[in-house]
Amino acid sequence: MAGFVAVGRAGDLEEGGMRAFDVRGVRIAVAYVNGTFHAFDDTCTHMGCSLAEGDLEETTVICPCHGSEFDVRNGAVLQGPAREPVETYEARVEGDNLEIKG
Amino acid sequence: MSETLVIVGASLAGGGAAATLRQEGFDGRVVLIGAEQQPPYERPPLSKEYLRGEFPFERVLVQPSDFYDENGIETRFGVRATRVDAAEKVVELDGGERVAYDKLLVATGGRNRRFRIPGMDLEGIYSLRTVADSDRIRAEISPGRRAVVVGMGFIGSEVAASLRQSGVDVVVVDRNEVPLRRVLGEEVGRVIEGIHRDHGTSMIFEDTVAAFEGVGRVERVTTARGRRIECDFVVVGLGVEPVTDFLADTGAEIDNGVLVDEYLRTGVEGIYAAGDVANHYHPVFGRRIRVEHWQNALKQGPAAARNMLERGEPYVEIPWFWSDQYEHNLQYAGFHTEWDELVVRGSMEERNFVAFYRKDRRVLAAVAVNRGRDLRRSIPLIKAREPIDAARLCDLNIDLRELASVAGAR
Repeated sequence: MAGFVAVGRAGDLEEGGMRAFDVRGVRIAVAYVNGTFHAFDDTCTHMGCSLAEGDLEETTVICPCHGSEFDVRNGAVLQGPAREPVETYEARVEGDNLEIKG
Repeated sequence: MSETLVIVGASLAGGGAAATLRQEGFDGRVVLIGAEQQPPYERPPLSKEYLRGEFPFERVLVQPSDFYDENGIETRFGVRATRVDAAEKVVELDGGERVAYDKLLVATGGRNRRFRIPGMDLEGIYSLRTVADSDRIRAEISPGRRAVVVGMGFIGSEVAASLRQSGVDVVVVDRNEVPLRRVLGEEVGRVIEGIHRDHGTSMIFEDTVAAFEGVGRVERVTTARGRRIECDFVVVGLGVEPVTDFLADTGAEIDNGVLVDEYLRTGVEGIYAAGDVANHYHPVFGRRIRVEHWQNALKQGPAAARNMLERGEPYVEIPWFWSDQYEHNLQYAGFHTEWDELVVRGSMEERNFVAFYRKDRRVLAAVAVNRGRDLRRSIPLIKAREPIDAARLCDLNIDLRELASVAGAR
């Protein structure tokens, strides 16, 4: 069973910010929106670009390469060209640490 | 009595329009007519992932193939519309069927521009528009074979890249000084040229094809400047022309496509147009523009469908497209035909930049190479149509979103 992995300090992410981390060999992006951390696959399901290098508008992440949009809360595709959702993960704050269940 | 809405062109725009009519609750008859055998599919992968064998055809379909039946959309695939009788409101199809309509959407897109070059009927010479074209080119691909690509617009550039990535030796012949010269200009074209050069594509500029030669099948290309290029096959990418012939008797005005207003209506009652075929009055740019790109077809088809249902929404999306070549991502947003200044943010040398096409200090359009985030943030600047300081556009410490909010607020 995969458990939570500490990826960094929770305070390093600003409101409206996004960053990608390596979690046991998987690139996972974390978006901090309205006081909540949302973790999801950093790799766009369309052509593999890094979503964390795109833009975050509220709870929507926009791929920098081809404009696919995903809901960071559940990974759903909101706008193509991507067709498949991105995987989402549990994220939590333990002490100062941001942890992702990967 | 319920209405019949007919869509000619089973394309991204046409298929999207059909789906939108149902999503918007229209419960009358919908008929989707397309000249190709396949249900609507997306064309961008045909020069890239599909051509290289990385995507199966199912992955490029606009909707799963059972979608149309399940949503009560009648289809005629593999059937061409030959004529529209606007007085009787009937579309005539190849084979004689006549389909009556209350409203008609024209989404027939384009066909490859016809060219007249001696030897063009030889085997082994292709152009690319349909999945059938892509299949034929794909069958020629194997490492070590030699291809000539004629024309280095977006299709030519992408095909050249895909062929190189598949191990084919490529020589490109283009009449301009650099790739994509007509759209992107010389400076950005040089960057694209460098990218292709680094991947081993041979490029011949400022020259044109004089003839294709061979016995039955193309064996070489000769050029106006006297070059002879031995090859195994040829891909010609000289642009497309809108498919409008079947509208000749309707009275709809044709000028570089079908003229439509901001609501995507032609001048003929009940006839609309969307996608590559539509020369649309764009309120943001204050002129008609015709766009041959994915996002325009994706959004304009559904917009036309909503207006067929009397939603009265002007179409104001800023045109945007991407072109992936090798490992590089190019994107363009806006619309420009001329500019007086190119302002570069980032580094052309490092192939990481956005270049803004400005006229009278206003940003008309932007192109990005490997800098997609900034490209997207440029779109509000283009919409705002306000003068913007060049130094601020170039300053990497300034977030383009801040400039947009200042420009928009003025």
